[in-house]
This record gives sequence, structure tokens and C-alpha cells, in this order.
Amino acid sequence: MRRPAWLEPVDHTADAGFVVGAATLPQLFERAARGLFALIGDLDTVRGIDEECIAITAQDLPALMVQWLSELNYRHQTLQRVYGRFAVESVTPTSLTARVRGEPIDRARHRLYTEVKAITFHGLQVDQVGRRWRARVIVDL
Amino acid sequence: MNRSRLNKLSDTLWEIPPTGGMRVPAHLYATERMIDTILADNAPEQAANVAHLPGIVRASLAMPDIHWGYGFPIGGVAAFDAHDGVISPGGVGYDINCGVRLMASPLTRQDLGPHLRRLVEELFRRVPSGVGSAGPLKLTPKQMRQVAVEGAGWALRQGHGTPGDLAYMEEHGCIGGADPQRVSERAYERGAGQLGTLGSGNHFLEIGYVSEIDDAAAARTLGLALDQLTVIIHTGSRGFGHQTCEDYLGLMDRAVGKYRIALPDRQLACAPIHSEEGQAYLGAMRCAINYAFANRQVIAHRVREAFAAVLGPGAGSAALRTVYEVAHNIAKFETHDVNGESRKVCVHRKGATRAYAPGRPEVPAAYQAIGQPVLIPGDMGRYSYVLTGTPRAMAETFGSTCHGAGRAMSRHQALKAGRGRDLLRELAGRGIVVQAQDRRTLAEEMPDAYKDVAVVVDTCARAGLSNKVAQLKPLGCVKG
Repeated sequence: MRRPAWLEPVDHTADAGFVVGAATLPQLFERAARGLFALIGDLDTVRGIDEECIAITAQDLPALMVQWLSELNYRHQTLQRVYGRFAVESVTPTSLTARVRGEPIDRARHRLYTEVKAITFHGLQVDQVGRRWRARVIVDL
Repeated sequence: MNRSRLNKLSDTLWEIPPTGGMRVPAHLYATERMIDTILADNAPEQAANVAHLPGIVRASLAMPDIHWGYGFPIGGVAAFDAHDGVISPGGVGYDINCGVRLMASPLTRQDLGPHLRRLVEELFRRVPSGVGSAGPLKLTPKQMRQVAVEGAGWALRQGHGTPGDLAYMEEHGCIGGADPQRVSERAYERGAGQLGTLGSGNHFLEIGYVSEIDDAAAARTLGLALDQLTVIIHTGSRGFGHQTCEDYLGLMDRAVGKYRIALPDRQLACAPIHSEEGQAYLGAMRCAINYAFANRQVIAHRVREAFAAVLGPGAGSAALRTVYEVAHNIAKFETHDVNGESRKVCVHRKGATRAYAPGRPEVPAAYQAIGQPVLIPGDMGRYSYVLTGTPRAMAETFGSTCHGAGRAMSRHQALKAGRGRDLLRELAGRGIVVQAQDRRTLAEEMPDAYKDVAVVVDTCARAGLSNKVAQLKPLGCVKG
């Protein structure tokens, strides 16, 4: 995938991360999900065939971001699926509902780079700067 | 961190004296040449932060391969009083019981000769690696609970291994006190299909040979001779351990408030060892420790099968002997002399390896005279090392030493540096056959991306924390 302007990699010596910017909070969560799967593999090779619904809660907005990405990583690893399309329907500081689309991993077609062990709270930022939302996430590889 | 905060205690030891809430000093093992690079990172600050934790004994310790981690630095060792101390998932890391096994074959690299490429291909085929690597074993919930309690012994009961293996593993491949009830359903789900798989990142499987011997007597005791073929397995507890760490970081975050523990960094979240939260984490972490022991045991079995398939039946099975297996992300109760008094402590080693001296009962009978073997992997182009533990490590670092090279470049920098280069061909030119799931992983993990492990190992030897026994050079490597 060609890196879009809203996604910047974070240079971390041992692990990896990204910064995403967005006009709205739902868009920020959608883009963070794309940021995660762009680390895992080449999103251009993923087709959004099947749809899954996700509803999660957390104690605050940064924790909600970790919970959201952890939920996607958990589904990716246990269901052996990759996801490429994310539609966040509602976000409050403590809850999120979304519909995501992906397909079963097919090593012949999907280019996959790395496993993500966990989404960390390390250097985590989810905030609004002026009218734009911004998130910084570091994952353990 | 500013150098003015440090006192130089010797050529290889620096102290950050206690200030503010630090209960003990922090001790960094590094040479004059290394210290400025280490100080440029945030890791020394993290080592000082660890010194704030309740019940910490003697000092917060940093090995020469220290680098920035989450809360605790990687390359950190901290021991907490078994009664008044704390336990912290951040002090162990996400990959609980990530570790290294060394195996040795009676064959030499000359014997391997033209079979190298086929052997690497066979290993790549038999040991699943990379994203979503799932093995042929799909464990039922009942079997997962058995693995969590029995560790490598479970794998042996399934016919994966030889009885001699267990004697040459830290904790004999199984730690007591594992409580399967304390592990989440998610962790069981993530681990169910991953037993016997390498994963990705810096994990690898390597065929090498003994390229240099520094201590002939110790090498003889370990059964290592020049040119002898070796195998290194580096992996951990896979999704089972990662999920367990994630589950308990949240619980510990809440425990910090409940037990009114003052922390300089929220990521040091911990709980008193004897609290309900502390006991729950210990029970779950030990399940992940056992899963990792079983994982490496199953992989070792697959490696033997690959050797037998390529080099003949006589090359597999017990002929490919386990020299030793160490853990480098772990917390364990151990007894150490502290100021002339024998004390039970909970030693957290996060990116650090146990290095017990000769004579300790935990060292295998055959190695009693030389001390516990320590296995330090380097990068896929240069070398790895076999060391042994020392009395000095017992006295200063709770019997601990370094664990690896540490990265010199971020993954992003490595990708840039690798652009336009044919790394497979470059490595082949040096006589090293590599199979990786993706060329991007190969670039991220290329030799230049890592520091020279020899510098780390030499510093530990100069500091007296371990003895150099042998150097191993790679011939073939499987990367996730």
C-alpha cells in the first residue's frame, strides 16, 4: 500500500508504531485500524468480503483506542483473518461500535509482514489539536 | 539522562545514586565507550524508575544490552523481597519466557556440505513461522490446560523429544505454581493453534557451527568442538503469553491505586506479591512460562525430524542433543545472598539471562564444575555466543547477565538501508542460506540492523558476570 498522507510511521528502535490524523473521531479510529493492518501486511491485497460487528467499551479514550486495536488483532490471530475496511458507526469516550470487513488469510494472495504481539500504552496519545484528531500508537512486535 | 547523574564505580559499572523516591541505586554495566550511547536512550531513566518500586533489593540492574522498553528497560534485572515486594507484568514483558535453546549435532559443517540448502528448506517447511503461523497441532481446551501445567514434559509425553532434554532446560522445562484458572479464554484461544511455531519479529531458527573456542575445558564439558554443527531456537510463548501480559497489565493498573503504590511511570504497574492480583498474575504467568517451554520442545522435535529427513535417521533424535535452554523474559522466586544473609526474592529478568555459578544445585549435574550455560544470540550474519555463569554474577546481579545484541537501527531505518539490496544473495555470498516468509522481514532483521553482540558479551566477561566459552557462526536461518 502506498502510504497515505494521514499515516506516519513512528521510528522506535525495537518495535513499531504510527501516528494518524483525522477530521473526526470515528475517522481517527478507522485510520488507526488501517495503520495497524498496514504494519501487519499489504492492505492492497485484502478484499473486504465478510462483515463483522464490533462493540467495545473502555474507561477512557486512550484505553478505547488500545481496546479497539487489540480486538482487531485478537480476531486477526484467532480467526486467521485479515481486515481491510473499517466503518466506525459511533464513538463516545468510553464506547465504540463498528463494522469491519475482511477475509480469511490466504498466503498465496496476501502479503503479510509481521505479527503484532500487543498494542501498548507506551507513548500512547489520542487528542484533539485545534479541529483535528490525532493518535499515536506503539505496538510490540 | 545527563552523565553528571552517574558515578563511575569501575571500568564496567556505573551507578545512579538514589534520589527522590528511589529506594536503592541503579547499576548499569557498560564500558566507557558504550555509556554515551546508552545514556542517549531513555533506558537509564527507566532503570532509575524501577528503583522506586516497593521491596526492591540491592539495586535496579541494567545489563550492557539495555535499551528502552515499556516501563522496565529491556536488559533489566530487579529482585523484590518475597514477602514485602511486588510483581510486575512489565518487568517480564509481553513475550513471557521468550528464550533460547542450543542443540549440538555430532556432525561437522563439512559433513553438512551440499545438504545445507535442503536442510534449511526442510526446517522452513516443518517449523511454521511468520504471521498467523499455526502448527499442525490444534490443542483442545483440556490439552491447553495440560500444557500450561506440564510445560515441556507434556510435549515429551506426546513423543516430541527425548527424555534427556528436560535435564538441560532451565526449571527442567516446567515451573511449579501454574494456575490454569487464572488464564483468560482469549489467551487459550490465541495459543491453541500456535504450539510448535516460531512467530515473527526477531525470532528465528538457525543452523550454525562452533567457530571459536575461548574456554577449552568448559567447551569440552558442554560437548562442543570446533566446526561442530549447532542449532539455535529463539522464540517464546506466542499469543498465549502476549495475551496473558495484556490481560494482567490492565488488572495491575487498577491494583496500583488499590494498594496505594506510588509510581514514577504508570507502565511499572505492579501489585504486592501476596495480594490477590499478584498471586493471580503469578499463576497465569507460570502457565505462559510452561507454554513457551513446550513450544520450544515441539520445535526441537521438528528440527530433529528435519535433520533425520535430510541427513539420515542417525542425525535426528537423540543425536541432536539439547546443550541447554534459557529463558530471558521471566520472573521467578530464587534464593540469593544479600549482605551476607540468605534471602528469598522474586527476580524479574526482562531481556536478561540467568547465569548461575558452578556448584548451584539448579545447574545440571554434568555442568556443575563450569556453571550454567548462557546462550546469547547475535544477528543472522555474524555470530552468537555460549557463556557460563559466575560467582560474581551471583554476588552482584542475582545470577544474571545479558541476553542479546540489541538493535542499532529501527525497523524503518533498516527497511531504508535494505532498499535496492539483494540481502538473500549478500548472505549467500557469506555462506549463509536464509529462508524468510517475506523480504521485508529480512530487511528489518538484516545483520546491519543489530549492534555487534561481541561488544555486549565482552563487556559481561570483563565485568565478571559470565565467562566466554564458544562462538557460533550461522550457516542457515529460518525467519518468520
